[in-house]
Amino acid sequence: MDMIQLYNVSKRYSRDSIAVKDLSVKIDKGEFVYVTGASGAGKTTFLRMLYVAERPTRGQILVDGQNVTRIRSHQIPYLRRKIGVVFQDFKLLQSRTVYENVAFALEAQGKKRFEVSKKVYQALKEVGLEHRLQRKPLELSGGEQQRIAIARALVVDPLILLADEPSGNLDQEVTMDIMNLFKRANARGTTVLLATHDYSLHQRFPRRVLTLDQGKLVGDQRPLEMETAEQ
Amino acid sequence: MLEAMRYFFLRALRNMRQWPFLCSAAILTMAVSLATIATFFLIVVNIEQLAARWTGEIQVIAYLNTPPAQQDLVRLTQDLEQIEGVENVAYVSPAAAMDRFRERLGEDASLLQGIRPDLLPASFEIGLRPEFRQQEGIEIIVAQLEEVIPVDDLRYGQTWLERFNTFINMLRFVGAFLGGFLLFATLFIVANTIRLTLYARRDELEIMALVGATMRFIKIPFMLEGAIQGFVGGMLSLLFLGVSFTLIISRGLNAFWLTPVDFDLLFLTATQQLLLVLAGVVLGVLGSLSSLRRFVRI
Ligand SMILES: Nc1ncnc2c1ncn2[C@@H]1O[C@H](COP(=O)(O)OP(=O)(O)OP(=O)(O)O)[C@@H](O)[C@H]1O
Ligand SMILES: [Mg+2]
Repeated sequence: MDMIQLYNVSKRYSRDSIAVKDLSVKIDKGEFVYVTGASGAGKTTFLRMLYVAERPTRGQILVDGQNVTRIRSHQIPYLRRKIGVVFQDFKLLQSRTVYENVAFALEAQGKKRFEVSKKVYQALKEVGLEHRLQRKPLELSGGEQQRIAIARALVVDPLILLADEPSGNLDQEVTMDIMNLFKRANARGTTVLLATHDYSLHQRFPRRVLTLDQGKLVGDQRPLEMETAEQ
Repeated sequence: MLEAMRYFFLRALRNMRQWPFLCSAAILTMAVSLATIATFFLIVVNIEQLAARWTGEIQVIAYLNTPPAQQDLVRLTQDLEQIEGVENVAYVSPAAAMDRFRERLGEDASLLQGIRPDLLPASFEIGLRPEFRQQEGIEIIVAQLEEVIPVDDLRYGQTWLERFNTFINMLRFVGAFLGGFLLFATLFIVANTIRLTLYARRDELEIMALVGATMRFIKIPFMLEGAIQGFVGGMLSLLFLGVSFTLIISRGLNAFWLTPVDFDLLFLTATQQLLLVLAGVVLGVLGSLSSLRRFVRI
């Protein structure tokens, strides 16, 4: 089943520059997909259109069967509850504890308190930080902060996980930890889109790769063993 | 529902605790603004009250062609007293008028020697109820007056009344104008202060929107916060006004105001006090809402 479908999607920020051009692609439920391309290729724009931080200039986007191209603003929150997002700069609240940062995502959805504490604990355990509950993000390492951000994205059991250069600021070892978290989420059925220009990741964890160049889709490759497995 | 309200309330409180400086700035801004408006309101109200006392001396004097016959006098007086708005009626006979005149002349009273005692006209002095002591009220009374008795001439301080009317109208106009201006300035300042507090928290707003919080969920704690700040600001302004008012009274500073000794300065009525605090709450909520629109884009 298709989780994400794009039909001839274009995005212009201004008249004379185009960020995404005529992009058509389908991503199945449960897939793990890299989005690569040089800086300015349109990776971030692509992801932002999926959680409607940007609207496409042209074309249609379907997420989980719902056309989000002209979604009403009051429906956007309900779409975003199906999508977890992870950024290069973590976007954690520095004034809140680790626990509160992760709980935030559940509280925003109006979950009951006992449910919140149980799920937050589970999510932090999943990323190996259940012993850091009462710390503030700045008291933790970059890798730990990113794992908290991932816990926040995953605590709501999203259908889709979007990650925009999640390991951009992190060293190799920490990057592998984080990739393992994404793989585990993917194994539980979450569709994962990972934007990165770190090609070494493709080699270590071969998965489908979408390549963008100046907003155009110039490559859509699956690793050999996956293609043979499918046939 | 109850749990949600509890959650919103706790979040509003913790936000305020987290940004004590911004929170106090918002509260103080509202307190100062509200106190300014209320002070201004009190000044206008007190001037009006003071002015109303001057009209206490207003009365209508109706001069008669010929003095009424003795037997008609009681009936005429009663008829005049029947007129709506008339408080009391006093008949001044030509002789009585002459006596007054003589009294007023004092030592020069000898000038009146040999003058006929009925030279001065007879008159009715008609006192008015307070609500009729103004232009329209007097006109109504005068119209009815002329049906009861043939009047030769009427005196009721026409020019003075006109000037007084102009003064009161001016006062009200300037009051409304400056008051409206103050209100706008207040709205502007409060909205900007709150905008500042929201700017400091734009990360939080952004992340809330990102994790799928509804507009309602994002707005309610901020509105609550605005309401609490407005409430505290309103109470503070009330406290400030009350203390300054008591000081003015106790120090006898109202002598400065050139007010009569027996004049009591007016303070806000209970309803007006309530309105002031309520205005603070409304101001806080509206300020939050108008600023939120800038920061939360979904
Ligand atoms: N908010 C914006 N306003 C105007 N132009 C923008 C905006 N965001 C992106 N762009 C432009 O759109 C194009 C694609 O940008 P995008 O951020 O999607 O690229 P990217 O692949 O994520 O790059 P990077 O690897 O550097 O993050 C770029 O030319 C960029 O300058
Ligand atoms: Mg990018």
